[in-house]
Amino acid sequence: MATRIHPLLILMTIVVYIFLIGPLIIIFGASVSDTTFLAFPPQGLTLHWFENIWEISAFRRTIVTSFQVALLGTAMALLIGIPAAYALNRHRIQLPGWLSTLFVLPILIPEIVIGFSLLRSINVGLGVPVFFALLIGHTLLVLPYVIRVISASLASFDFSIEEAAISLGSRPVKTFFTIVLPNVRSGILAAFILAFITSINDVSVSLFLTGPGISTLPIQILAHVEQFFDPTIASVSVLLMMLTIIVMIIVERTLGLTAVTK
Amino acid sequence: MLSTPATLAISLFLIIPVAATISVTFSEPEGLFVPYSAFFDSAFQRTVLWRTFEVAAIATVVSVVFGLLTAYVVSRCPPWMKSVLIVLAVFPLLTGVVVRSFAWLIILGRNGILNNFLQWIGAIERPLSMLYTQTSVIVALIYIFVPLMILVLIGVLENIPDDLLQASSSLGASPTATFFQVVLPLAVPGLIVGAVLVFTASFTSYATPHLLGGSRQMMMGTFLHQRAMTSFDWVSASTVAAIMVVVIVTTVLVMTRLARRLNPMAS
Amino acid sequence: MTLPLSIDQITAHYGTTKVLEDLSLTVGDGELVSLLGASGCGKTTTLRLVAGFLQPTSGAIRLGDKDLTRLPAHGRDIGLVFQNYALFPHLSVKNNVAFGLKQRKLASGERDKRALEMLDRVGLAHLADRLPGELSGGQKQRVALARALVIEPPLLMFDEPLSNLDAKLRVDMRVEIRQLQRANGTTALYVTHDQEEAFSISDRVAIMNSGRIMQLDTPETLYQRPANKFVAHFVGFENLIDLQVTARDGEMVHAQTHDGGKITLSQERLGAIPDAFVLATRPDGLVVTNDASATGLPATLGMRTYLGRAYQYQCQTGAGQLIANGSLATPFESGAQVTLVPNPDQCAILQPE
Repeated sequence: MATRIHPLLILMTIVVYIFLIGPLIIIFGASVSDTTFLAFPPQGLTLHWFENIWEISAFRRTIVTSFQVALLGTAMALLIGIPAAYALNRHRIQLPGWLSTLFVLPILIPEIVIGFSLLRSINVGLGVPVFFALLIGHTLLVLPYVIRVISASLASFDFSIEEAAISLGSRPVKTFFTIVLPNVRSGILAAFILAFITSINDVSVSLFLTGPGISTLPIQILAHVEQFFDPTIASVSVLLMMLTIIVMIIVERTLGLTAVTK
Repeated sequence: MLSTPATLAISLFLIIPVAATISVTFSEPEGLFVPYSAFFDSAFQRTVLWRTFEVAAIATVVSVVFGLLTAYVVSRCPPWMKSVLIVLAVFPLLTGVVVRSFAWLIILGRNGILNNFLQWIGAIERPLSMLYTQTSVIVALIYIFVPLMILVLIGVLENIPDDLLQASSSLGASPTATFFQVVLPLAVPGLIVGAVLVFTASFTSYATPHLLGGSRQMMMGTFLHQRAMTSFDWVSASTVAAIMVVVIVTTVLVMTRLARRLNPMAS
Repeated sequence: MTLPLSIDQITAHYGTTKVLEDLSLTVGDGELVSLLGASGCGKTTTLRLVAGFLQPTSGAIRLGDKDLTRLPAHGRDIGLVFQNYALFPHLSVKNNVAFGLKQRKLASGERDKRALEMLDRVGLAHLADRLPGELSGGQKQRVALARALVIEPPLLMFDEPLSNLDAKLRVDMRVEIRQLQRANGTTALYVTHDQEEAFSISDRVAIMNSGRIMQLDTPETLYQRPANKFVAHFVGFENLIDLQVTARDGEMVHAQTHDGGKITLSQERLGAIPDAFVLATRPDGLVVTNDASATGLPATLGMRTYLGRAYQYQCQTGAGQLIANGSLATPFESGAQVTLVPNPDQCAILQPE
């Protein structure tokens, strides 16, 4: 429909988008500045600060930990989330009403409260090692996203296909793996990506679940900023943004980016 | 039961620990509500709570206004431009909160871009201290949540049938009149949902007030961390946690009920 | 006040696809003209162009003396009734009807008064304070009609207004629409894919196909004297037989198909018949007989289906597969050798294309 938009609204939209993208460009500029403090526009160009990331062992360690936690936490969330989403969609009538409420609790309860409570109960109370407490925290963090995205995918799945397969002699468990899962493949991929990126960027849950030698990248960034105000952080940020770009390209190639807004 | 593992995980690692945290605040030997009266007796702690409300509310209102207007323009754009604008909103959204808060550290710092720029045009002589103010936290929170609001509201606006907008203009309503009399009332339920998202996330944020507010602009999130990890006063920290849970759960319940009541398209 | 609508040589594109080509149409003052055709024929596009939701590539649209072509939709002053009603879900029935009056800056008292009067005319005054979600389909469409009429537009347009209603209600509503339109004397453009609906409601009907008007005429003329094969087929002349005149005997014309099937027709009934022509007949227009002396097309009967009032036969002839209806009294078995004799009441003469 050809609606004319008021020029002032268009101007405002341009300003909003400059506001959204500008700061990220500034980070990029700051990451290649050859000054020892954060500066934009960069004075001279250098990639020194990217090398510096690898020279600081805390960054090396936390990058590895972050990836481990994100991958394992997401995998665990998928492992328990896919059956739960399937049950919610397939047997909604038989299931008690509180169950779907239960699954949104991790979103409802503030993340920082979850992190603090896990520290008190699991880490200090039960003596569970920090890494496992961190893993549990991240699994909880991403579980609602996994259940929601896969539920949305299952909602458009025609369960009579599954019944057709069973009527043709396929056993229910086999049917789930050969008929249901392949048809919600894109939902699972979307859930994985969303969960992974949420986990990698998380601060609030991880905040309390770190200990000697174990920390995540975002927490390490916060710690580093308190002591040094050099462009290393800008270059770490650029690496994280590149990760985002890679993820967006994967999403675009496999699902189409419109999937993200749903 | 297929949902058992997820149910167990949430019960064991979420409900029980959070319940334990809250129950600690009611288990003080001196009396049932002692931690809470201690919290509200302290002028500093009341300020922290009030500041958190204020910052979250302002960030929410500004994000809603700009998010709505931007989403309206984006949803009226030709398809190719719409995809570009959606991608440009998704990108910051998928970039972490730490990175995006950090950007404002570079911008607002004493030697930051804004100070340099203002000095260069001669508006100021000496750098202003813009960091560690309430405004710096609010600006960064708006920056973080506007993309979310834009994406939520594009979805809401696209759900309004084109026919209604055409009916409105065929009855003589100008685009502005259509916006205020048709689009806005129909977007209200979605606006409330988006506003709740932004408010709760701002209210419980940690990284942004930590980086841009510091200890001078303590908010509930940073205060909880300070109580637990610097003062090691876990009862006080648990009290802060319990107050956060109450505020968030109440806000979500009240507002989603309101959104449902205001949804004319439900029937 | 009501005005004639004239659409003058409109061409329109969706992207690079041409959807309307050089279309011209005039709707007289107070007249109701329907655009009839299958989906994709351009009827809805035409309506949207007039409404101002689409811009033509070339051509002009006028209402009376006013050129609408470059006017924004909200400045056109056209009452529009949508297929899915398009009632504002957040406004009461009364406020839906008053919406257009509000845009015309009427005082709220006057708005309510006129809205209620109009609701009374469509028999829904008692539902004025309900929300649209609480109404049935028929009630919704009455509200939509009231909303379009209350602004007293010089032109009313309907976009398949009845296709979401059930069959019985459809018939009632189309009578109601016609009465209201007549009573107000409003010029109206009506889009539908339902032939019965178009013929029953309209002064004239434009049958459209691939972005063009194939024929614009009164329903009677369209039904009896289609101008071309497309329209003939559209209004139920399922058999199109190419013929060549072999002899003329006063008003009687003898003609034959390319394979020698003979037919005799009277010009008294069918009008002047050119030397080469197409005979269009409905299934009822071919009488099935086993009288060997009859002049007609020899045919072998194929499958027989029961229609209730007649039997229908698939007939194999030298002029191709034809469809004929035979009486229930004398059923024929499939495989029977018969003669098909045209009944001039159910026939039309077309120019070959």
